[in-house]
Amino acid sequence: MTPLDPFDRLRALRSMMQIRAFETALAKRKDHGFQLLSSGEEAVAVGLSMVLRADDDLLTGGRSIGPALARGVDPGALMAELLGRAAGLNGGRAGRGHLSDPRSGFFGAHAVVGGNISVAAGVALARKLSLSEAVVVIMFGDGACGQGVLHETLNIAANWRLPLLFLCNNNGLSVSTPWDAAMATPRLSDLGATFGMPATTIDGLDVELVASTAGEAIAAIRKGGGPAFIEAKSIRLRSHSTTARETRTREALAELETHCPISALAARMKLSPDEIAELQRTVDGAVDAAERFAEASGYPEPGDVLTHVQ
Amino acid sequence: MSNSPAPKPRKMFFREAIASAVRAAMLEDPTVLVMGQDVGSFGGSYREFDGLYREFGADRVRDMPVAENATIGIGAGAAAAGFRPLVCITYMDFLMLGFDPLINYAAKLRYKTAGALTAPLVVKTTAGAQGQGVAHSQCLDAWLMSVPGIVVAAPSNPQDAFSLMAQALRHDGPVVYIDHKRLFPSPGEVSVDAGLQPFGVAAVRRRGEDVTIISHSYMVQVALKAAARLAEAGISCEVIDLRTLAPLDVDTIEASLRRTGRLVTLEEGQTTCGVGAEVMAQVFSRMGPRPFVRIGALPAPVSSNPVYEALCIPDPERICDAVTALLKNAPPA
Amino acid sequence: MIYHLTVPKAVPGVEEIRILEWHGEPGARFEPGDMIVELETHKAIVEVRADQPGFLRMVMGQPGDWISIDDTLAVFSDAADEAVPADAKDYSELTVAFEVT
Repeated sequence: MTPLDPFDRLRALRSMMQIRAFETALAKRKDHGFQLLSSGEEAVAVGLSMVLRADDDLLTGGRSIGPALARGVDPGALMAELLGRAAGLNGGRAGRGHLSDPRSGFFGAHAVVGGNISVAAGVALARKLSLSEAVVVIMFGDGACGQGVLHETLNIAANWRLPLLFLCNNNGLSVSTPWDAAMATPRLSDLGATFGMPATTIDGLDVELVASTAGEAIAAIRKGGGPAFIEAKSIRLRSHSTTARETRTREALAELETHCPISALAARMKLSPDEIAELQRTVDGAVDAAERFAEASGYPEPGDVLTHVQ
Repeated sequence: MSNSPAPKPRKMFFREAIASAVRAAMLEDPTVLVMGQDVGSFGGSYREFDGLYREFGADRVRDMPVAENATIGIGAGAAAAGFRPLVCITYMDFLMLGFDPLINYAAKLRYKTAGALTAPLVVKTTAGAQGQGVAHSQCLDAWLMSVPGIVVAAPSNPQDAFSLMAQALRHDGPVVYIDHKRLFPSPGEVSVDAGLQPFGVAAVRRRGEDVTIISHSYMVQVALKAAARLAEAGISCEVIDLRTLAPLDVDTIEASLRRTGRLVTLEEGQTTCGVGAEVMAQVFSRMGPRPFVRIGALPAPVSSNPVYEALCIPDPERICDAVTALLKNAPPA
Repeated sequence: MIYHLTVPKAVPGVEEIRILEWHGEPGARFEPGDMIVELETHKAIVEVRADQPGFLRMVMGQPGDWISIDDTLAVFSDAADEAVPADAKDYSELTVAFEVT
């Protein structure tokens, strides 16, 4: 594991704190709709984003807010999208489940569990045929690992040596089902290894480890080495969604909190409480600005409901 | 523009019409790809991609493993990222395996991104019963008509096979192109210079005065056979070939029905929630109801058993009986 | 004797086929086993081979031409210089073997 340099460590910490602050503010709102949050999983998206180039593409499942912010999507436009406002990334039409901002390198989220995996392979095929050096990353959870289309896509991606990184964010639970109750393989990275691609399981709570592992994998993919599979084990500090029942005990959750990736990095950086508070103020200010931007935007025009169908 | 005269129409097999249209598109547009089972050196299950692999190579003409879900998903993703894939699903029965990427992703991509991304994906699939059993015989055409965001095209002859495919490969959103097993044996004249066939334009295949028969795909050929027999009995049928189910050309249907006053809808798929049900609802909501009959498959799986398959699928005799009965119950004024 | 070669019902459902290639010209002699003509259906190529000796006298179409099932494709005779009557109803059926490839 190559540690990030101090500047990048700070960026990583701030990015994770930004996600946490954004999602905390979002969850407090009465108008937030139905959301899937990344609390405990921030290091996976942030570690990855540290090593992506501007022209790389990131696709995700429905747990998209953290990854979108990590990738550099504008927080104001993102908040507006989540609140269904016209100034949102997609005119308020996509919401969390489908947000997309290709110009920021966030090709899109897709709320069907596993549904974006083959799409990502198609994007990778397009990049490869265009002789681009771009790498495509598909993030999905342990819940998607049972989907047949994952296995179909692993096979085809390996056969075609697509420039595709399969990044499995294993937060341990698919709503209420523990990952090892659902899956027969000892590790989820075994799914990638089955099709002959480089595959590894790492601690997804260590943002620097995620960054260096992803960086190596992506460098090899970019050189034409074909796809790779990284399983990053994280934790889900909250329930599956803002409406899902929590199945774990208060004690279990308290124990999980001690593994928070944000606290871990801050401790590793030996930041003082004042320094952390200063960072917190910065990210809170940015979230505040995002909320005000979103609130100032109106809802889409009723008359536009039938535009862009075909 | 060249001043040389337009090439004469050439009689060719249905499969050659498709191959010609795909080849022309691949020559003109380097982003057109073909993906599917047996589309490469095998040339397609019906030889409808003959010669393309030899001419364009493995990068652009890709044999797929049996993985319809991922195949359509990869097509959709490549389309969203700037290519124009033609995904071939050999049997329409297996299109269901790829409904998620087709309907949940491709059909909704333009809408959910407010036009920023689109998926110009053509999914070609072959429908119809021809002795291959309950899971290799279905016509699910009507299922797709109600999905906002996709075009559903169904040629009934080689010229339209060519022109609708040419149009599909230039369309900026998803198209499901449905051909039929029983259309492949019949050759027809194809003018490759006829250009594209815009979607949503039906064709009057036979002019008539007593009854309007609305059909599409292979059943148009069956309707024409029935119409010829009915003419001998003094009944004049107008046969309209829808060409596309979505968009639906209600104007042409209405104009015909205002003249004949009697509607017959004919499809090989089920009549329940079928193409005919939608045709009736749309044309009647414009002009009020008229005497009608819907003809389609019997409400049973279509078995490979020759006796049962023949019973299930509409044939000229069943059509003639239905039209005769309709006219008896609704005689000319 | 004069014979006509009719389009074989090689493939079910096929009503029209296309001539792909003749393997001899009028005047040529064919022995059993010799390929006479290749025909194209929508699915496959049909190889038509002579199953009796004879001379090819007339061909009723060129490569690329369309012809219907049961139509006459070619006229044969036992002897090279037999007169070929205009009325086809006196013709016999040429025995051929065909193979769908």
